[in-house]
Amino acid sequence: MPFLEISNLHASIEEGDKKEILKGISLQINKGEVHAIMGPNGSGKSTLASILAGRDGYEVTSGTVTFEGADLLEMEPEVRAAEGVFLAFQYPVEIPGVTNTYFLRAALNSIRKHHNQPEMSMSEFTKLVKEKAQLMELDSSLLGRSVNEGFSGGEKKRNEIFQMAVLQPKLAILDETDSGLDIDALKIVANGVNALRSQDRAVIVVTHYQRLLNYIVPDFVHVLMEGKIVKSGGKELALELEEKGYGFLENALVEA
Amino acid sequence: MGQYEQYLPLLKAVSPSWFDQIREAGVKRYQQVGLPTRHDEEFRFITLSQLGEIEFQPAYGATIHRGELASVSQFDDQFAYTIAFINGQFAPEISSVENLPQGLHLVPFDQASSEESEIIQTYLGKVADLSGKLGSNNDQRFVDLNNAHLGEGAFLYIEDGVEVEHPIHLLWVSKADHGPLAFYPRNLIVLGNKSRAQVLESYLGFSGATLGNSVSEIVIGGEAELVHVKLQDENDDAFHISNVSVRQSESSSYTSYNVNFGAHLARNEFNVFLEGESCHTRLDGVSVGLSGQTIANHTRIDHALPNCNSFEVYKTVLGDDAKGVFNGKIFVYQDAQKTDAKQTNQTLLLSKRASIDTKPQLEIFADDVKCTHGATVGQIAEESLFYLRSRGIPYEKAKAILVYAFAAEVLERIPNEELRQKLESKLFAKLMPSEEA
Repeated sequence: MPFLEISNLHASIEEGDKKEILKGISLQINKGEVHAIMGPNGSGKSTLASILAGRDGYEVTSGTVTFEGADLLEMEPEVRAAEGVFLAFQYPVEIPGVTNTYFLRAALNSIRKHHNQPEMSMSEFTKLVKEKAQLMELDSSLLGRSVNEGFSGGEKKRNEIFQMAVLQPKLAILDETDSGLDIDALKIVANGVNALRSQDRAVIVVTHYQRLLNYIVPDFVHVLMEGKIVKSGGKELALELEEKGYGFLENALVEA
Repeated sequence: MGQYEQYLPLLKAVSPSWFDQIREAGVKRYQQVGLPTRHDEEFRFITLSQLGEIEFQPAYGATIHRGELASVSQFDDQFAYTIAFINGQFAPEISSVENLPQGLHLVPFDQASSEESEIIQTYLGKVADLSGKLGSNNDQRFVDLNNAHLGEGAFLYIEDGVEVEHPIHLLWVSKADHGPLAFYPRNLIVLGNKSRAQVLESYLGFSGATLGNSVSEIVIGGEAELVHVKLQDENDDAFHISNVSVRQSESSSYTSYNVNFGAHLARNEFNVFLEGESCHTRLDGVSVGLSGQTIANHTRIDHALPNCNSFEVYKTVLGDDAKGVFNGKIFVYQDAQKTDAKQTNQTLLLSKRASIDTKPQLEIFADDVKCTHGATVGQIAEESLFYLRSRGIPYEKAKAILVYAFAAEVLERIPNEELRQKLESKLFAKLMPSEEA
């Protein structure tokens, strides 16, 4: 049984013109693997990430998503998170009045509660947070500040990966985490993700550019165009895309 | 006022004879108008007809033990110098007014020394009075009703130059265990020149239908500073109708936090008259109304003299079928040049059935002033909610956290840490009854 199995997933926008965005996606991901999903703007990459995390606004018209044997699409977003799914947002949300520390502690303890585990003690939590903040080279003063409020673009993205490092998800989905990052921040983010890589977890890296994949080396690369996976391959596919652009796959689109 | 005649002798018995004058004037004025209806401008957004239907008895005695008090009050003896009243009657058993520092006076009216009585006589009934002031609807009928029932009350006086760090608590507890009860809290707070204090004025109820009709008169001397937290956490059947009237002398500072969590219906008035130059006024409020609650806040700042600034932030959270009202008046008198006044009113509606009427009202008669106001009414942002949920926080808790953050922004500014924390946990408990903060 694959860790995550997406079968023939079709999805549309819930409101307005109800445009179909995903037109039959199938993908199997096993533990220990890193999959990159690449594709031009508007190909449906972020939609796929959003649907996996449970964001409102999309209607799955057919197909299934099974996570560790359970129907992922039936779960509330918080249950998905508790079961180990984590989405690093493309646009992290500012939450004025809620400190990073409070937020993370509430998240961590909610997840523990879901598994009938006792709350983490304050001292244990503080230690964990300190350690992960160091890993992400995140200024400790940011921890006491409101979630993402007044953070720079890079700080927001690093904060996402920091949250991921604290929550230790089984399936991490990075939605364009590299956009807007300079090379130093990119390396820090990659370090955070690589530190999470293990035989018990999987990572999906959604990205437009190959750049991040120099630092988070994927096992598989899939190219998404117009809501379909038009080509899958190894890490070398990313390099080929970098070199030739998405245009060379337009024939594949016709075939798919 | 059905049983007023029978009740009057009791009022006379606990108060000096000069109170008669205030009572008589109050009776006379109140009887001319009676209970308000929706045709009365100041009451057009709320319904008070129930007040005429419920047979409230004049205050009767009740016993509340210290242990029992803890179920409604998180504030103990250690927290503050406390003067407490139960159903409008002074309750020495739950007060702590002994061993006050030099220069701090905290007594019930009827225990005032002759020197203290002189100060009471100077101000009582004179601060909560809009006669002769600007405005076409200076409706003070509930001040009149309170005046009509003038009897017991709290007198707080800080002498010139005295700074009191420890909070002072004016505590009004109600317990209507023998049928509906009306009581008329009265506070007089006088801060001498260059004095400083922080006061908690709280209204906490056990159970049963009550009408608490309070008036607090506050006089702030030159260069004096008062931080005033008014906490209304009455029970679900209570009507709370309050008036806080403030007079500020030159270069004084007044900061108030109008905090409402309880009551079936609460209507609060904060009227501040700036009668000296270079005053600072800050009126902040946070109100949370859920099922069946109505919370109306009316503020009024009279900028009568130049170079004063006033800032106001009122936040309201309304869920279920709760109703809210915000009316913020700012009058800038002709002489009050260089006035800087800013009013903000923000409301979060948690349900489609909740509603608020907001009415900013600026009347400016001076030409060199800076006055702004802004009102927003919104809902919880879906994207924020999803962000919290995507990290494992369940829907209800995620919602509570976001609402809490919205409302707590006001409480965060309360300088006394213990008080701030206690109010924050009260807020959290109100929003998230089943969770620990």
